[in-house]
Amino acid sequence: MDKILVLIHTVEGGALPNAALETLAAAQSLGGEVVTGVFGEGAGPSIGSLAVEGEAFAQARYATDAAACEALIKASGAAIVLAPHTSRMARALPGAAARLGGVVDTHVVAVNTSDGAVEASRWFYRQRIEGTFSRAARPWVVLIEPGSYEPAEAAPAAAVTKLEVTVGSKTQMVGFESPETGEQTIRPDAETLFVAGAGWTKKQKDGQTHTPEAAELIMGFVRGAKSSLGSSKSLVDMGSEGQSVLPFLTHLHQIGQTGSTPRHKKGLATCCHGEEPHVVGWRFVRERRAVNMDANCGWARGKADVLYVADAFEVMRELNRLLG
Amino acid sequence: MPYQIIVCGGLAPDPLQTLEPVPGAASPGLKNEMMLPGVLDPWASHALYEAANLAKQHPGSTVRLVSLAPKAKLQQVLMTVAQKLPFELMALDGANNGFSDANETGKALGEAIAKLDPPMENLLVFGGWESATRGSGAVMQIVAERLGIADVFLAVDEIKVEEGGSFLVKERVEGGKHMVSRCSAPPAVLAWATGNLAEPPNHPQTGMANMRVIMPSLQKATPTAVGSGMSFASASLPKQVRETRIVKDTSAAEIAREIAEWLKQ
Amino acid sequence: MDELSPQQPQEIEQPEMPVEPKPLDADILCVGFGPATGGFLTTLTRFLASEEGMAVQSRAFPGMPPQVICYERADDTSFGVSGVVTRARAFKASFPEFSPAEVPMAAAVAGERLVFLLDPTGAARVPWWMRVAGNAIEALGIARNSAFEVPYIPPFLHKGDGFIFSLGQLNQWVGQQVMMTGMAQIWPASPVAEPLVEDGAVKGIELAGDGTEVRGELTVIGDGPVGAVSRRIDEIFGMPEGHRRDEWAVGMKFVIDLPESCDLAEGTVFHTIGFPEPEIFGFFYVHPGRVASAGIFVPSWFESPVRTAYRYLQHFIQHPYLWRYLKGGRLRSWGAKSILESGRHGEPYLCGEGYARIGEGSGSTNVLTGSGVDEAWLTGVQLAEAVAGIYKEDLPFTKANLQAKYEARRRSSWLEEEAKVAERARSGFQSGLFAGFTGMALAGFTGGKMAWPRPKQDKRPATLEQFYRTRLSPSKVRELRAKCEAEGTALHDALMDEAGWPKIEHDGELLVTQQDALLMGGKVQAPSDAPDHVVIREPELCLDCQNRLCIEICSGEALRPGEAGVPAFDREKCVHCGACMWNCTREIAPGVSNIAFCAGPGGLHSAEN
Repeated sequence: MDKILVLIHTVEGGALPNAALETLAAAQSLGGEVVTGVFGEGAGPSIGSLAVEGEAFAQARYATDAAACEALIKASGAAIVLAPHTSRMARALPGAAARLGGVVDTHVVAVNTSDGAVEASRWFYRQRIEGTFSRAARPWVVLIEPGSYEPAEAAPAAAVTKLEVTVGSKTQMVGFESPETGEQTIRPDAETLFVAGAGWTKKQKDGQTHTPEAAELIMGFVRGAKSSLGSSKSLVDMGSEGQSVLPFLTHLHQIGQTGSTPRHKKGLATCCHGEEPHVVGWRFVRERRAVNMDANCGWARGKADVLYVADAFEVMRELNRLLG
Repeated sequence: MPYQIIVCGGLAPDPLQTLEPVPGAASPGLKNEMMLPGVLDPWASHALYEAANLAKQHPGSTVRLVSLAPKAKLQQVLMTVAQKLPFELMALDGANNGFSDANETGKALGEAIAKLDPPMENLLVFGGWESATRGSGAVMQIVAERLGIADVFLAVDEIKVEEGGSFLVKERVEGGKHMVSRCSAPPAVLAWATGNLAEPPNHPQTGMANMRVIMPSLQKATPTAVGSGMSFASASLPKQVRETRIVKDTSAAEIAREIAEWLKQ
Repeated sequence: MDELSPQQPQEIEQPEMPVEPKPLDADILCVGFGPATGGFLTTLTRFLASEEGMAVQSRAFPGMPPQVICYERADDTSFGVSGVVTRARAFKASFPEFSPAEVPMAAAVAGERLVFLLDPTGAARVPWWMRVAGNAIEALGIARNSAFEVPYIPPFLHKGDGFIFSLGQLNQWVGQQVMMTGMAQIWPASPVAEPLVEDGAVKGIELAGDGTEVRGELTVIGDGPVGAVSRRIDEIFGMPEGHRRDEWAVGMKFVIDLPESCDLAEGTVFHTIGFPEPEIFGFFYVHPGRVASAGIFVPSWFESPVRTAYRYLQHFIQHPYLWRYLKGGRLRSWGAKSILESGRHGEPYLCGEGYARIGEGSGSTNVLTGSGVDEAWLTGVQLAEAVAGIYKEDLPFTKANLQAKYEARRRSSWLEEEAKVAERARSGFQSGLFAGFTGMALAGFTGGKMAWPRPKQDKRPATLEQFYRTRLSPSKVRELRAKCEAEGTALHDALMDEAGWPKIEHDGELLVTQQDALLMGGKVQAPSDAPDHVVIREPELCLDCQNRLCIEICSGEALRPGEAGVPAFDREKCVHCGACMWNCTREIAPGVSNIAFCAGPGGLHSAEN
C-alpha cells in the first residue's frame, strides 16, 4: 500500500474545516500508513505532523498555497495525497501536483482499494455519469468532495515538523464580500433547499403573470424555513437579461447543469419542469418533494419522493402562513 | 494597458442531450458522441464573454480562443460562437471529452500556448473554472504551471482593473461569498465561474469579420493527441429511480400542512 | 410584411460590434440549409475548388473566389426533421462511393413491407368499405397482430435500393463536408426575415434579429415549405397560373431505442396505412444500433378537426403490429415539420431576376412516391450546375439565364417526369378516402395518365359537432369545449378520450406527455430575448372560430386557448413546424391566413430526427 498524505489547511483562527476530518476518514479507510500535513494560520499546533505556517500562508492565495502544498507533499514522501475539496485546495493543488510531475483528480466521492490498487470514484458530465478509475502516476493527488465521508476523530500531533517555505506573491487578499442576496443564497449549512423554477414567472390560471407575488412567496418561504435558495437556469437567465423577473436571483443560485449541485437533507422544488440537466441539480438532496401542475412531469417522476399536483401559488401561500 | 487575453475553451454536448457512457479502447466514451450537437463549454463561454468585455474596455487588446476539439465539430460550433464577439482562434485538432485526462489536457493546452510565446507583461489567460464535461477545475492551474504564471484565480465572477494596472478579482468561495484579491500586475490565470455578463446576441457582421481569421486557423489546426493516465474500472449512469408518490386532487391547505410537517421532521 | 409582424429590424443594442452596421456583400446567398441547399453547396463548392472554378472571381470582391454564404434558421445544421427512407438516386450521383457507415444512423434499406393496419381500438373513423375489407381479412385468418402485410408493393413506392437516414445527421455530415472545403460558410441560428426586392429583382436578404442586410448577386431560396422568404417571394411575384400551395401534412416522428428483445434487422422499413385513422399514413424503420424511427403524416385533407399528431402518434406506436417491437423501448428523440404536399401543383416561379427556388418550397416533393429529400437534393445540384455554367460564360444572374440553365435542366430530368405522374395522384382524397386510394393507384399504374379528378371545392375540415355527430352529442362537444377553454388546454385529448380512444398510460420512458417529448425528445429551446415569431394578425377574427385548428395541430402545444378567446403563443415550446399557418381557417386577405408565421430563432435541439 502506498504511503498516504492527508493534506489540509486551517481556516480562520487555526480551526479545521469539517471536510478535513472527512478526508482523514477517507484516508484511514484505505489502510496503510497515513501522515498528515497542515498549512495555514495556526497550522503548527494542529493535527499535522508536518506543517507550514506563517503570515504568508494565512490567506488563501495560489502562489503561497501551491508552494506550501508542494513542500508538504515532497517532505511526506507520500505517493498518494488526499485533500478536502475546498475552494482553497481546489485552487492550489492541481498546480502543486503538476510541479511535482504528479497528477490530480478532483470532486472524488469515494476512494477504495481493489487488488491492492487505489481506485477513485467521481462524477462526469455534471453528475450525469459516475466512473471509477485508478492511476499509475505518482504522486496522485485526490480531492475528496465534502460530505462524502463521516468525519474521523483526530488529536493534535505529538511532534510537528515545521517546514520553511519562502515564496513571494503579487496577489494580496483584500477581504470577503457577501452578494446582495445575502442569506437568500445556496448555503450548504441549511437543512432545506428551495428550488424555484421558471413556472413562477409564467402566466397563471387567470392569464396574467404574478411575478411580484411569486417573489414575495419565494422569499417568504426562504426566510420562514431558513432554507437555501436555488433556481433553474431558465429562471436565472430571465433575471440576468434585463427583464424585471425575480431580480434577487443570480447565477449564484443556479443549480443543475451549469450551476451547483448542493447537498441538503431536504429539497422542495416548485414550478420546475425539465429533464436531466435540472435533475442533476438535486442529485445530492436526500429527501425531495415537488409542487407543480403536471402529474407526469419528468422533473419529478422517479426523482422526487412526493409530487404534489397543485398550484404552487396557493400551496406556498398556505405554507408560508403555517411557517409564520 | 492593452491586454493579450488567451481563452481556453473546449466543447461540451448541448445541455439537454441524453448522455450515456459506452466502453472505449482506452477510456469510456459517449454513445453516439459524434452525433451529439455541441456547444462551446458554458463556463469557457462566460470566460470568452468576459475577455471580450475586458478587451473592449482596453483598446488595443486581443482575444484569442485556444480550443482542443475535433476540427469539424469545432468549426460547426464556432459558426454560432463567432457571431457573438470578435476573437482569433488557435485550434488543436483532437478528441477530447469528459473522460479525457484533465492533467494531459492541461499539459497539451499549456504547450500550445507556450509555443505562441506570448509576452508576459500583459498576458491574461482565461478559461472556465470547470467544464460541463470533466468538471475537474484543474486544467487552468496546469496551464499556469507550464507558462510559469504564479497568480491563479479559480471560480472568478469579476475582474476590475485599477489605475496603475493592478486589478481586483472576485472568486467564489464557501458560504455563498466572494473572496476579493488584488493582483498587482499580469500575467495571471483566471478560471471563470459565470461572471455577470449575459450571452451576447448573435451579430452576423461580427461573424463575417471573425471568419476571415478563424477559417485559416481551422485549416491549420494542429493535430493533438491527448494521452490518458486513467484506467477506468467502470462508467455508468446512476440507476437510482425513486418511487414517486403523486398527490392529486388535494387542497392547497392540506398539501401545505403535509409539507410543513415534513419540514419539521 | 404587415404591421403586426415582428420581422421589422429590431433595435438591439450592440455594444460589442467591431464595425458600424453596414450592408454586407457576398456573391451567392442561400436561405436555409436542408437537403436542397446541401446538394447545391456540395456541387458548387466542388466546382469552385476545381481548376475551372479557381479561375472564377468574386464579382463582389474581385480577386477573391466567389463569396458563398448560407443562413440557416435553426441553431445548428443538425436540427432538421424528416422521415427519410429514400432511393437516393441524386444523392448517390453526388457521392458515388458513399457508404452508410459514414453518416451516423444511416443504413441501406434491407427489407420493405407495406402494412395495412386494422383498427384494434374501434375508435378510428373507418369508412364502411374499409371496415368490411378489414373484417374480411380477419375472417380469412390472414391478419396477424391486427395487421395485414400486403404481399405486393407498387413499384412507385419501392425504396429497396436506397437508404434510411436521420435528416439531422445527414445535414450535419453534408454541412461539415461543405465547410471543410473553405469555399462556403453556413451560419446557423440566423433566421432570414425577408428578401430585399428592388425594381422587380431580388438583391439579397434581410436577417431577422438586428435587420442586417446582406446583398448578393444570386439569392438561392431553399428555406423549405414554410420559409418566410419563400412566402414573401410568392406574395410579391405571385404564383404561376393555376398553381396553389394548398395540400399539406404535419409529419411527426419519434426516434426510439428499441428494447433488447427486438430482433428487427437494421434497414427494415414498414410503410403503413389504415391506422390510427385511415387518412393517416405511417412509417417505421430501423437504424443501426437498435434504434428506430416511427412517424405519421396528418394531412390537410383529414376531415377531423382534432388534428393532434402527437396523440395519434402515441396510438400509432401502440398498434399491436408495431408495439411488439417497441414495448420496453425508450424515447430518444422527437420532432415535427410541415410537408408541402402540393408537389408540382404548388410549384412557384422557379427563377426570377437575381433569385432561384430549390427544394421542398419549390414544389419538388413527390407525394406519389412519398419522397422529398432526394428530389430536393437534385434541385440543388441542378441549380449549382447552372450557376457553374453561368460563371463559366461570365453571364449575369438574370431570370432568362437562370431559366435557360436551371429551369431547363430541371424540366428535362427525372424529377419533372415523376412530378408530372404524381401531380394529380392525391386529388381524389379531396373527395374521400375511396376516391383517394383509387386515384393514387390509377395515377401510379398509368404513369399519371389517369387520376381521380379534383373536386371544384376541396374538402374542408368538419366542425367538431359534425365530425363527432355519431359519437358525441353537440351538447357534450360544447361542454368539453368550455371546459378546455377554461383550463387553457387543447381539446383533442378530451374529445378523443370521450370518443373511445384508449387513454395513454404514460410510462415515463416511451409514452410520455407532450411536454416531456419536447424536453426529452426534441430538446426544444428558445432564446428568451427574441420576439414572438407566431403572431395573430387580427385577433378579433379568432373570436368566432370554433375549431381552433391552430391549437389542435400545434406540434409543441405552443398555441393554447388564451385570453378572450384568442390563442396564446409560447415561443419556448415552438418547434417551427409552421402547421398553425396552414391550419388557420381565417384569412385577412385571399390566401393570407390570420396567423403570421415569421422567421425566428430556436426550436428543436435534437440532432437525431
